Amino acid sequence: MFDVNKIRENFPILKRKIHGHNLIYFDSGATSQKPEAVIEAMNKYYRETNANIHRGVYEMSVESTRLVDETRTQVAKFIGAKEEEIIFTRNATESINLVAYSWGEENIHKGDAVVITKLEHHSNMIPWQELCRKKGAQLRVVDVNEKGELEKAKKIEMIEENGLKVVVGGWSDLLDDKVKMVAFTGQSNVLGTETPVEEIVKIVKRKSPGALILVDGAQMVPHMQVDVSKLGIDFLVFSGHKMLGPTGVGVLWGKKEILKKMKPFLFGGDMIGEVKLTGATWAELPAKFEAGTPDIAGIVGLGAAVKYLEFVGMENIHNHEKEVLQYALGKMRDLEKEGLIILYGPDAETRGGAVPFNVVGVHAHDTAQILDSFGIAVRSGQHCAAPLVTSFGVMAMVRATFYLYNTKEEVDYMVDKIREVQKVFA
Amino acid sequence: MSEYREIIIDHYKNPRNMGELPGADKIVDEANSSCGDLIKIFVKINDEKITEMKWQGIGCAISTAGASMLSEKVVGMNKVDLEKFGEGGVVQMLGGEINAGRMKCATLAFRGLLKVFE
Repeated sequence: MFDVNKIRENFPILKRKIHGHNLIYFDSGATSQKPEAVIEAMNKYYRETNANIHRGVYEMSVESTRLVDETRTQVAKFIGAKEEEIIFTRNATESINLVAYSWGEENIHKGDAVVITKLEHHSNMIPWQELCRKKGAQLRVVDVNEKGELEKAKKIEMIEENGLKVVVGGWSDLLDDKVKMVAFTGQSNVLGTETPVEEIVKIVKRKSPGALILVDGAQMVPHMQVDVSKLGIDFLVFSGHKMLGPTGVGVLWGKKEILKKMKPFLFGGDMIGEVKLTGATWAELPAKFEAGTPDIAGIVGLGAAVKYLEFVGMENIHNHEKEVLQYALGKMRDLEKEGLIILYGPDAETRGGAVPFNVVGVHAHDTAQILDSFGIAVRSGQHCAAPLVTSFGVMAMVRATFYLYNTKEEVDYMVDKIREVQKVFA
Repeated sequence: MSEYREIIIDHYKNPRNMGELPGADKIVDEANSSCGDLIKIFVKINDEKITEMKWQGIGCAISTAGASMLSEKVVGMNKVDLEKFGEGGVVQMLGGEINAGRMKCATLAFRGLLKVFE
């Protein structure tokens, strides 16, 4: 049985007071809070085990190596992958850069095209922009409708600026044989839009059979069951800190046969086979892509986070978030009808736990700061997705995001305090 | 909520010197990349001193009040005066207390003005 009150007891930070009020943490889209189990696992590692991996033959080094290997196995199982396909990085951003540099450098040429969407976080936009600019390739961007859902067909728009050709349109118009990479988010970090991954994969396979598919799972993997063995995609990236783990560890999953062909991204220790003064051979997967000492304690923490998520159950988490989201959207729509706020994003059916809004006549930062004075933590600004936010005709939005520890009572409290925001400026 | 003093709300609702300045000697743009706030500053300069400042922009209460109050404050200032005034002067001007997360908002116009003398 999913009991949110029991879950909340596992998160020590939720007992914190902010400006004398109980903390209402509605910014899990930026980073999630950590359960005691994760904090404790990392503490225990530093107190009892700390030693470098793959180096020593002594007991503690062997234990450290085993802890990292165990987490790799857990993460692989968690997303339906093979162990050697799990590469530990710093975060989802680094995972995407790894693919853009290593795979992109070799495989994107003049005249090729890369497809992304307007929903992308800057982390899944800038690496492709820069790659395309450098290679003389075209960047194609799938547009969104007024609800923030991806467009299937739309009038094509061409932009050429700073040495980059960009084509904006719908899926059906942007896919052809020139496309070598399709990189898109599983869930928008701003609007919560859940993209139809399976449907997109189908149309990509039909229209651009030579293209690889990368899914940005930063907002997806923490919130729903993901099985890469069934999705038909080639890469999945996500960050540990958005799924109850610590900051500093991210994951790149890639299909083994593709990773094997890719050149290393970073060079140095641990990623080599044989080394001579004149050169080196590369280690097997996954070590080939893990140069240098990794964030070992972070990886241990991520392992504890995955264990916690599996214990609670991803389906339970997903259902709970949907319930809180549906409740919040209902309450917020009432505020919208009163003319107090403007809401953005799709209906609850195709949306994860994110509610972006603006209080009428009040800047997002001012709203966020007034809410903070009541103990409510929400994000404000452009959410690292400037082209998406500004396409709604505003410079900034306030965003509340939900996770397994949030409650309907917290939503009620926020709705109540949104009324206070307007009073300050009345 | 100590930021939302009466004086800030007043300048936010009734911003001073907002608009274009025909015949401006210098026009500069400044932006806050994380929130999208934008400001365009127009100044007239005589004998290396600012004689008039006008501005246009979209921003929050803090950045708007910062620009509005600064537009009155900087008349008569030269480069050295402005540097001496500094970010500390901006905070004082806004009432003496700005949370660290809002410093970029508070100093948006000030950072633009510094560019005037570049």
